Amino acid sequence: MSLLQEVWQAVKAIGTGMATVHKRVYEEAPTEFYPYVKPELPPVSVQSLALVENEDGSERCIVCLQCERACPAQVITIERHRNPEGKGFLIDRFDIDLVNCMYCAACVEACPVSSIVTIQDFEMSTYDLQTLKADIDFLHEQARRARQWYSPKFGVELRTDDGRIEKAPPEMQPGGLAEILKPAEEVDS
Amino acid sequence: MRPIPIPEDRHFRPRLIGYDPQKSRPWLERTVYAAYVFVFWLIVIATYAGVPALFGALGWDGGWGFVLMRVLQVVLLFLLSAVIALLLILVLRKYLGKVQERFGPMHYGPAGGIQTVFDALKLLAKEDFVPAAADALTFRLAPAVTFVASFAMFAVIPFASGWVLADTNVGLIYLIAVSTLSAYGVLLGGVSSGNKWALIGALRAGAQMVSYEIPLALVFLTVAVWSGTLRLGGIVDAQLGLWNFLPLALPFVLYVIASLAELKHIPFDFPEAESELIAGYNVEYSGMSFAFFFLAEFVELFLLPALIVVFFFGGWHGPLFGIEPGSLAAGALESLYFTLKTAVWVWIFLWIRATLPRYRDDQLMEFAWKAMIPLALFGLVLAAYMRLIWR
Amino acid sequence: MSTMNLEPVPGRTDEMIVNMGPQHPATHGVLRVVLGLEGERITRAVPHIGYLHRNHEKIEEARTYPMVIAYTDRMDYVSGTQNELPFVLAVEDMLGVEVPDRAKKIRTIFFELYRLASHLVWMGTAMLDLGAISPFLYTFWDREIILGIVEKTAGARMLPNYYTFGGVRRDVHPDFFKDVADFLDHMERRMVDYEHLVLESPVVHARTKGVGVLDQERAVARGVSGPVLRASGVAYDVRKAFPYDAYPDVEFEIPTSPDGDTYARFWVRFQEMYQSIRILRQLLELTPKTGPYKGRAPARLKPPAGERYRAVENSRGELGVLVVSDGSDKPYRVKHRGAAFSNLQIIPDLFVGAKFSDAIAILSSLDPVFGEIDR
Repeated sequence: MSLLQEVWQAVKAIGTGMATVHKRVYEEAPTEFYPYVKPELPPVSVQSLALVENEDGSERCIVCLQCERACPAQVITIERHRNPEGKGFLIDRFDIDLVNCMYCAACVEACPVSSIVTIQDFEMSTYDLQTLKADIDFLHEQARRARQWYSPKFGVELRTDDGRIEKAPPEMQPGGLAEILKPAEEVDS
Repeated sequence: MRPIPIPEDRHFRPRLIGYDPQKSRPWLERTVYAAYVFVFWLIVIATYAGVPALFGALGWDGGWGFVLMRVLQVVLLFLLSAVIALLLILVLRKYLGKVQERFGPMHYGPAGGIQTVFDALKLLAKEDFVPAAADALTFRLAPAVTFVASFAMFAVIPFASGWVLADTNVGLIYLIAVSTLSAYGVLLGGVSSGNKWALIGALRAGAQMVSYEIPLALVFLTVAVWSGTLRLGGIVDAQLGLWNFLPLALPFVLYVIASLAELKHIPFDFPEAESELIAGYNVEYSGMSFAFFFLAEFVELFLLPALIVVFFFGGWHGPLFGIEPGSLAAGALESLYFTLKTAVWVWIFLWIRATLPRYRDDQLMEFAWKAMIPLALFGLVLAAYMRLIWR
Repeated sequence: MSTMNLEPVPGRTDEMIVNMGPQHPATHGVLRVVLGLEGERITRAVPHIGYLHRNHEKIEEARTYPMVIAYTDRMDYVSGTQNELPFVLAVEDMLGVEVPDRAKKIRTIFFELYRLASHLVWMGTAMLDLGAISPFLYTFWDREIILGIVEKTAGARMLPNYYTFGGVRRDVHPDFFKDVADFLDHMERRMVDYEHLVLESPVVHARTKGVGVLDQERAVARGVSGPVLRASGVAYDVRKAFPYDAYPDVEFEIPTSPDGDTYARFWVRFQEMYQSIRILRQLLELTPKTGPYKGRAPARLKPPAGERYRAVENSRGELGVLVVSDGSDKPYRVKHRGAAFSNLQIIPDLFVGAKFSDAIAILSSLDPVFGEIDR
């Protein structure tokens, strides 16, 4: 008797399992058609690094070397010299080895002026790894091509169609920044 | 400035043949399957009605003409087995995709419909590699043995009344003999590969063959006792009133389990268990040698469900709508019934494949010797008594 | 040396030496086990590790304290932030940093989300090892949802580098709590399916019950922890024994099984997933929607000289870290105690005498991750 029960249990369990599997046929698959439809990444997603310039084309970076010091993988190399006219420093060299970079965004956290930012351009496959040893022109070009980027200081910034840089609306901002960036009257009400 | 690595429009875009792969189109897919089944049906009609009619009209139906006719029919059946393999691999991939919350092949042809043709072409173009440690002659011979053993089963399969190559009265015995042979190919291929995983896979296949062949043969015997004939056409004819799966319920269940084992199909796919033996007996095969193993596997995946239909589900029987039996139209309709019934069983096998994990090989052996053989013997005795009483 | 390289016994022809791995599909990465096979039965088994060795602990000695967090992520790469926590806790203790209550709860939510993610990966790969393909794809889709929630807040999916000394790096996304609640609803529906496909399947019963029995005494002697230990009947869980973060505030049980076989390990992991869902539900209620997410940590991180050991209950067991400070901004020594590494020690015990197919099932029930084992 118990043997028959056991067999019945097994048959029932196999039947339930088969029904569980087959019912997916009638559900729409959650597949994303990646090469045809690009995924919408959250604005804070760390996919690549870029060096943002101001709207007038001048350098945002003040060459304070904070990012170089913060980098765990030690892939950032910066050389600078003192500005002969005026204050601050000028960049001689700003290289990021994007091959060895581990995309922890520690440099972005460290940057006091939100010059180095994370962008969502994840398609970096290449036949030649040497092309991913980014110099300053490479990093500027990445920023010029990007429509939006993120840094913890300024939040998400957008590049408008006419080339201006502006803060993204609060609903696009990640946590912690939405409150800060809201217009004052909204916070009051 | 170094070049930016990736240009603006840099996505890999596979060349599409008239299809936008961004959404599933179930009706297009069903049309593709129907087209394959239609081609299959046409080849069956051509093999069993067209060729004999042609040779009869030419007056070549004796002596060497008869031999030539048989050769032509075998060539057509080879074409048929290629169509079967292309369709079943496609359906397997599509169905597994559907149940696994993905889509399966989508890019080549309508709804990915000719993907398997391209896969076959790829295998054709690959190097047929023989490892240094392998026994070259046996290694090359094994896929041929496997395929021929599976393919030879076509000889006695009745697609419609009278539509069979060899309507021999020892059909069942021939089937037992030939289906056992296909295990030899697997055994030879695995042992001659010079690879330890292949060796283990081959030995598992050998052990499995010994275990499941006995209940399988006992079920064959039960069917023969019940129907009173060893001829497959006769077995189908005997089911005119009542399909066998009702009176022979126990042998029917045993047969389904044993044919899963014979197919080396989940949950009994020990000889090629990917996660244990990597690919088992065919781990060293590539190119066309591998393709023949594959072809044999999928031809068997058609033939064993076809035998279920012949033995238990009334073969070609179905409503004829007043068409005179024996005519070309009746044969065509009957072969269509046969194909559709087989398709349902193939689908059930694929469904099992999508669901179940794998048993352990000694558990199959234990099950075969301790449960299936006594049950099959019991079923045989029961069928004999029932036949004595009711027929 | 003879135990490392398995030599054939002279005059014995019935034993075949088979090299399983490091490219074997069932070894979950780069484990290599040299097996002596007598037919299907395993007579000897020698595991070899180190194919993924990256010299983590030495690298971490040369990095400042915040940098080390990014490196700890890379150990157990399927359970993300869980690796960061012991190091963060140890350094917080040494610095005396106060962690706000809300930050603790957010950290615990992430911790439990990654436990679900890790157990889902285990379930998929274990069923793949047993031969079923479909659960693998189902579990990976569920895990994808978890990774999506994490990415929305932390910016990365598998290696988020999210915890920091005193809390978390940034506040959670405004949608975070709703996303997690939606995911838990989805997960509860899916757990029914997983029960049908994994725990209730007679094939799984046949393959796992009574296979690879690890008795309580040997489990304790070998120093295994986590689900493997609890499946042998020892109710030891760091979350209860040495509570950390928000675990004292929530109610949950420690599922244990007296059997110690492969099925018990499957069952315990399943029950842990239910407990994770329960913990997450409570935390969603308890966590304030707004508030501080980070305590005040000193700008120059120089812990006083001394050492500190902290452990957490990772998806695989007790993940501990010993941090030795010499008062500079870099740790003098960081020693990780990996659960997967300790659990792997029982391979020779369980493999010898088992069938070859059983070995695959046993290995999948140990759920090793080689990023952590080889470090």
